[in-house]
Amino acid sequence: MLSDISLGRYYKADSILHRTDPRIKTLLYVVYLVVIFIVKTPAAIGALAGVILIQIFMAKVRPSVIWQTVRPVIPLSLFILILNLLTIKQGNVLLQWKFITVTDYGVSRAVLMAVRLVFLILSTSIMLTLTTTPLKISDALESLFAPLRIIKVPVHEMAMMMSIALRFIPTLIEETDKIMKAQVSRGADYDTGSFLNRVKGYITVLIPLFVSSFRRAEELAVAMDARCYRGGDGRTKLNPLKLTGNDLLVGWFLFACATGLVVMDLTLR
Amino acid sequence: METISVQDVTFTYGSEGADVSAPAEPALENLSLEIERGSYTAILGANGSGKSTLAKLIDIIEVPDSGRIVVFGKDTADDSLFWQIREKSACVFQNPDNQIVGTIVEEDVAFGPENLGIKLPELRERVDQAMKDVGIYELRLREASGLSGGQKQKLAIAGALAMRPEVLILDEATAMLDPRSRDEFLAVAEDMRRKKGLTLITITHDMSEAMRCGRIIILSKGKKAAEGTPPKIFADVELEKYGLRRPVAIRFAYELARLAGRTLTEEDLTGEARLRERLVKILSDPSLKEDPDLPETGPDNGTISERRKIMSVKDLFSSYDGGRTFAIKNVNLDVYEGEILGIVGESGCGKTTLISHLNSILKPSSGEIEIYPEDGVTLRCTQKKDVQRIRQTVGLVFQYPEYQLFEETVYKDICYGLRKMKLSADEQKGRAVKAAKAVGLEKDVLRRNPFELSGGQKRRAAIAGVLAMRPKILVLDEPASGLDPAGREEMFALINSLREAGTTIIIVSHNMDEAAAYCDRICCIRDGEIKVTETPEALFGDKEKTAVIGIDQPKITKFSDLLKADIRKTMPQVEFESPKFDPEEEARRVYRAVLKARLKDVK
Repeated sequence: MLSDISLGRYYKADSILHRTDPRIKTLLYVVYLVVIFIVKTPAAIGALAGVILIQIFMAKVRPSVIWQTVRPVIPLSLFILILNLLTIKQGNVLLQWKFITVTDYGVSRAVLMAVRLVFLILSTSIMLTLTTTPLKISDALESLFAPLRIIKVPVHEMAMMMSIALRFIPTLIEETDKIMKAQVSRGADYDTGSFLNRVKGYITVLIPLFVSSFRRAEELAVAMDARCYRGGDGRTKLNPLKLTGNDLLVGWFLFACATGLVVMDLTLR
Repeated sequence: METISVQDVTFTYGSEGADVSAPAEPALENLSLEIERGSYTAILGANGSGKSTLAKLIDIIEVPDSGRIVVFGKDTADDSLFWQIREKSACVFQNPDNQIVGTIVEEDVAFGPENLGIKLPELRERVDQAMKDVGIYELRLREASGLSGGQKQKLAIAGALAMRPEVLILDEATAMLDPRSRDEFLAVAEDMRRKKGLTLITITHDMSEAMRCGRIIILSKGKKAAEGTPPKIFADVELEKYGLRRPVAIRFAYELARLAGRTLTEEDLTGEARLRERLVKILSDPSLKEDPDLPETGPDNGTISERRKIMSVKDLFSSYDGGRTFAIKNVNLDVYEGEILGIVGESGCGKTTLISHLNSILKPSSGEIEIYPEDGVTLRCTQKKDVQRIRQTVGLVFQYPEYQLFEETVYKDICYGLRKMKLSADEQKGRAVKAAKAVGLEKDVLRRNPFELSGGQKRRAAIAGVLAMRPKILVLDEPASGLDPAGREEMFALINSLREAGTTIIIVSHNMDEAAAYCDRICCIRDGEIKVTETPEALFGDKEKTAVIGIDQPKITKFSDLLKADIRKTMPQVEFESPKFDPEEEARRVYRAVLKARLKDVK
């Protein structure tokens, strides 16, 4: 019933981007986030699309997978497009029909917003989720936020919590599925009826799920205790993050692309 | 000799908490025992007897209220030794899912040594070695959540071994595994004990597992009730008092000896061959009393197929991925009114998928399931209008049903299905009370919060919730899992009484002895296909057939068959009846056959 949920799905492949240090990828992700929101000129946006294509190529992700990640946001993207088209009144009027006014500024603005959303999803999935396992992401965050330990932020604990949460997602999905089946066999109905009724119906799933999550948490805590877990101090790592020349090369290359895009955009304005 | 020494230990849960007004019963009380280095010890006891608590104390996850625990010369009360002791003892717990920390197999194995601060390259070497030792090296880059139950438990052992412990505690670690995975798992643990000199402590409800150990310690209500070698324990201790039972082969032997007016001693139990030798000797003794009023053996059940058909599964195929692979394929199965049908097979063979189809939770890829609740009525799972009625006609109790309870009171939870059926309040009440009574819950339990009940009671409450809907067919997935031997017997007695009351029962099980003893017919599934559906007598009476299908014989049958062969060597004229699977009943049959043959000789 719930098997099609794919939260931050990882795409298994052997590519340059897959091998790149997750810290570099996280930093690049932030850089591109900024770039996506800075660039405005059509030429720069075109160039940005080109750079994203290069990234897809570097990640060796199949086009069908890219399509699957983008498809869910297309309705939202179209909605934003139409909303912007209809609400922006500045600029030269292109079309006037009853209460609908479309201006040239509105068109460019609307297209920009819609395209930004698609780029955002693409860059999140290519830079992070598709090419990096959850554990690596949390490793990267732990390492990048390490300086915050000086001001007593429990960086290691937060990263550990995150990776355990990610580790338990499939287990809890399976459990939810089991509970739902059991309640359905007692006559529960999660698919029909009014919205309120359906929400109420989910109580029969949520309560057992909560109870069992607490039980699991307790057992997991004992198991972690038994395996001598005592926080991050003095802990070693089987696969420590290590920066290689290749990582730096990828990092500088994509960073240079990003800088180029911004410079190009600013000069064209 | 170095030992783990538990000296006069008392421990109460929550004793350091604030709730002094209602002091809880101690989980362990004045417990003293010694476990030698390198030994193999089983700790037995009913649910709630304090077994797991003892494991936690040895691994210093809990600290005793009073008394001392010394692990190989190190006192657990000495704070400076805390990590040293914990490092040297490792645990594998019951639920495979709740002890895996890492997403990827090798990352999880590394978790323990990483905590110990082991540096590369030793860390890598330890992790690889541990994975090779338990045979999961090929799986090292797989996602842990995608492994099978048996593989997950092996992963848990690997995680323990990577810490290089001296003590390995298995806390009901095999309870959720099927017989084959269980054997593999224990073989790995025993192998590590031999090769690395590990001290192995296993906490279990499975008596045949206890037989493999060098020593058994029985706990009862937090106290040590008995201690000794397996033969001594099974010969001398009144196990029923502690919610335990003898292993089936030994129960069978004792009944046989009792009928012959003899007794068995500790020495007779030191090996199966020896036990058989002794039994043959007893039976061929010329002075054997020829009891004239030998109890008649129980009647054979009537032919099942003469009964009314209540369900028919026709050419059923089921797929989770749109037809690329099939979880079950080409299943044809008729179920008859009033029978107990057992479905057996290894984990992952498609048992659970099949039963989910029986009450239309899953839709078939192709094929049909017809249900005939009464004469002239046919419900079809492919007809949308029939689905609701099918769900009421076929009640489904999943494994660990207690995990689905959600209401504030047991009564409300039992009524959940009835509310969904939109029955009147009076009708609901009548049915709920009756269902609670049928599963053996006292009336005052109905008002209580289900989460406060004991494990066994919770399970009964959950079953009552399904029973209240008055299903004509009740399907139970592993109804006895996790229960102690006495609890298992009670569960099967309950199932039997439901059948007597007219309900048709389908049980999924991987315990062959129980399936054979309680079911009228057994349906074997392998790789999603039904291999055979037969009476236990026909199925297990033919050793070659079970070997071809690839299922285990019940333990009682294995032992009894060997004994019968031994008896024939000295008394070739004995003709044995068809096998039975209740150890006492089978003993009576063997005894009667031997007596009959002798009487014939005399004439």
